[in-house]
Amino acid sequence: MRRFSSDLWISEDVCYSLLKHQYCNRMNYSKYLSKVATRRKPSGISDMRKYLVNPSPSLVWLGSGMPNPTQFPFREVTVGLDDGEVLHLSQDMLSSGLQYGPTPGYRPLVTQLKAMVELHHSPPRWSESNLLVTVGAQDGVSKAFEMLLDPGDYVVISDPCYSDALCMLASLAPQYLAIENDDEGMVPANLRAALNLAANSAEKGMPKALYLVPNACNPTGTTMGEVRRREIYAIAQEYDLIILEDDPYYFLTYEEEENIPPSFLSLDIDGRVLRFDSFSKIVSAGLRVAFVTGPAPLLAVMELHIQSSIICAPMFTQVLVSELLRGWGEEGFRRHTAKLRKFYKNQRDAMLLAASTHLTGLCEWTVPKGGIFLWLKVVGVKDTGPMIIERGITKNVILIPGKEFVVDSSKPNQFMRAAFSCVTPEQMMKGMENLASLIREEIALQNNQA
Amino acid sequence: MNYSRFITQISQNRKPSLIRELYETLTNASPELVFMAGGMPNPQMFPFQAASITLKDGRALTLHPKLMNDCLQYGPTSGYPPLVKHLKTLTQKLHDPPRWADTELIVTSGSQDGLCKAIEMMIKPGDYFATQEPCYTGTLSILHPYSLRYVPVEGDREGMKPEALRAALAPWKPEAARDAVDDVPKVLYVNPNACNPTGVSLTEERRHEIYQIASDYNLIILEDDPYYFVQFGDIKDYPPSFLSMDTDGRVLRFDSLSKILSSGIRIGFVTGPKPLIQRILLHEQASVLHANSLSQVLVSELLTLWGEDGFFKHTQSVQEFYFQQRNAMVKAAEQHLTGLCEWAVPTGGMFLWLKVNNVPDTWDMILERALKKNVILLPGKAFMCDQSQPSTFMRAAFSLITPEQMNIGLQNLAELIREEMTLV
Repeated sequence: MRRFSSDLWISEDVCYSLLKHQYCNRMNYSKYLSKVATRRKPSGISDMRKYLVNPSPSLVWLGSGMPNPTQFPFREVTVGLDDGEVLHLSQDMLSSGLQYGPTPGYRPLVTQLKAMVELHHSPPRWSESNLLVTVGAQDGVSKAFEMLLDPGDYVVISDPCYSDALCMLASLAPQYLAIENDDEGMVPANLRAALNLAANSAEKGMPKALYLVPNACNPTGTTMGEVRRREIYAIAQEYDLIILEDDPYYFLTYEEEENIPPSFLSLDIDGRVLRFDSFSKIVSAGLRVAFVTGPAPLLAVMELHIQSSIICAPMFTQVLVSELLRGWGEEGFRRHTAKLRKFYKNQRDAMLLAASTHLTGLCEWTVPKGGIFLWLKVVGVKDTGPMIIERGITKNVILIPGKEFVVDSSKPNQFMRAAFSCVTPEQMMKGMENLASLIREEIALQNNQA
Repeated sequence: MNYSRFITQISQNRKPSLIRELYETLTNASPELVFMAGGMPNPQMFPFQAASITLKDGRALTLHPKLMNDCLQYGPTSGYPPLVKHLKTLTQKLHDPPRWADTELIVTSGSQDGLCKAIEMMIKPGDYFATQEPCYTGTLSILHPYSLRYVPVEGDREGMKPEALRAALAPWKPEAARDAVDDVPKVLYVNPNACNPTGVSLTEERRHEIYQIASDYNLIILEDDPYYFVQFGDIKDYPPSFLSMDTDGRVLRFDSLSKILSSGIRIGFVTGPKPLIQRILLHEQASVLHANSLSQVLVSELLTLWGEDGFFKHTQSVQEFYFQQRNAMVKAAEQHLTGLCEWAVPTGGMFLWLKVNNVPDTWDMILERALKKNVILLPGKAFMCDQSQPSTFMRAAFSLITPEQMNIGLQNLAELIREEMTLV
């Protein structure tokens, strides 16, 4: 027997044919898998889990190597919330929180998250989809890359691209199709041209995966409009790509929720989207609770890797997040995200004020429509790297040089990323003033060297 | 030691995230520094303010707002600094690693996460891999997708046999093998204490012999030791760890808090040579980012409250609990399974490894017929490198059941075995 999802047990024969042919004209997922991913299988112990479904009360269970929770020193947990409410974890919840749990996630939380996904995205192929809790969205993305790519494979990314995605990909030394952005993100014409070139070139191998951050993209702050999303989805269909939709700033777009462009997941009529959601920017980064949604066969493979590495996401933090969401209900969650939007919009406005006060003439930028980043082009400086890394600290300002966000970090880069999430308006003013001074000195330095 | 021999191309390709590196500089930054480098969410927006955790001894841990902020914000990949400090102190005290100055320790999301990253750092498809056999199923699931050529090493009631290790490595000459990169085993996996699944521990003498063999063949030893604190007997008498005898810098040691504090909080740690820990750290940076901060802060606060004495008092009581469990289990086994099975008395942990005398393969007996007899345990085959071969063993866990349930369970098991014998 092979476990396909937490609820679905399928015999080896059916599983094989599912992976090879899928059912009728649905996608054949086996061709997307890396060699290592193809060989993953459940551990010997997980086969036994099927006995846990409706066990007889007389069944003596000697199978599980779980430690005895009577030996854990914790008895009770209460958590105070910022609105004055107090979460008191019941004995059951605390027990769940302190013991190993199912790899897909703490069941009540998974139920809540599935309801959330259905509400916000109404995925067209929801009945063939699944959802897994991950230790931060980054672990989900990293497991997805490792599932889909063999070393040296092609991958489609945007240019610039989230720097940690490049770190994740670096280990596989992939061949990049880095698609240039404009102020809406990845440009479809550039994407089509690059894929066409790859298809017609003598080198073998076509990309199987396309990675993007559609809302308040890190580092550029751009948000992709609906028309463009549909264009990119169509191209992904044409070239048969899996789309990795990394969307940690979904709830940080400044627009009202109704005006957020539809996610790739909500457009996914084929079952080719893996969507990565995160609580890091909206509830807590340190708790490491996030989730991935996508086609059940692909999630089944990711689940096996997650199982063999972390066994399960931390149960304690999952219980906390679940209780928080339960206490809030849909209305409370909406109130919280509205509060976030307002806060970060104010931060953005203060940042723009600081930038226009001190950087006008020195830098160019587009106005971010969400998230926490301002992407600055330093017009008169050839390469922001040495300026920031070597000299920034002497001017008491640190931001990230643009070269961290491109494939070839040896090339000079005029951009830099400033985060405005945690600085006060006063600090922003000071920071931008320091930055202006840094830039002027750098230009002088450049001129002296010229 | 030349560590590059052990690191795969994939691991070598990993590069640090500048953002993560800069984040670590924040801790020592001047208050004048305007830090706009990290994509950190604003802590004012975190809905959790404070927490109180009551312990079973009645005392309470308070996570006041400042501590709560540490729980809720991104943290350094290597671990919450106060916790790392506690764990380093503990490690130095218990193991006094000979190369401490060249050693690093980082927190992982459970010890298995560290083990998985270590294995993925060192093996590529088709490699050789030396391991104790039987072997923990979780480790086998990490290894399986790499289609490895296993070098299984058998043991007895005193753990892995050094002569079996020597014999298994005999196809290679140490002088040639120690510097070779391909087609040679470079890694040895071992559970030295209360091994999962066998329940036995390696004697001190054997550990020295095995270390010497590993040194001769230039192997990295993966010392996976989650039952360290659940060994029976006085902690003063515990046999020395491989880490404690690591004069070469070839041991990666994996410790766990899962059996003694909580498995659900997912906190473990790995200790080893800096160059190897650095590679693991980079992989953590590119995956989980760090073990969840709340659990780390919780454990750190607990260790601070308890102090060293309190901690060892706790581990002692955990050990005593499993000791009673073991005694009850062995008594039930003697009562019901004498003549049907053989076993070694576990020296720690929570597993009894039973050899069924007259059943050549326990797999079908358990998967097809055990449910009807109201007993479930694990067939030995699941713990073998080559799962196409029959196994006459089975693993029974005694962590969660009462002595009454042990009696009923082993009685049921005896019936199951007797019936199986008529089938065979």
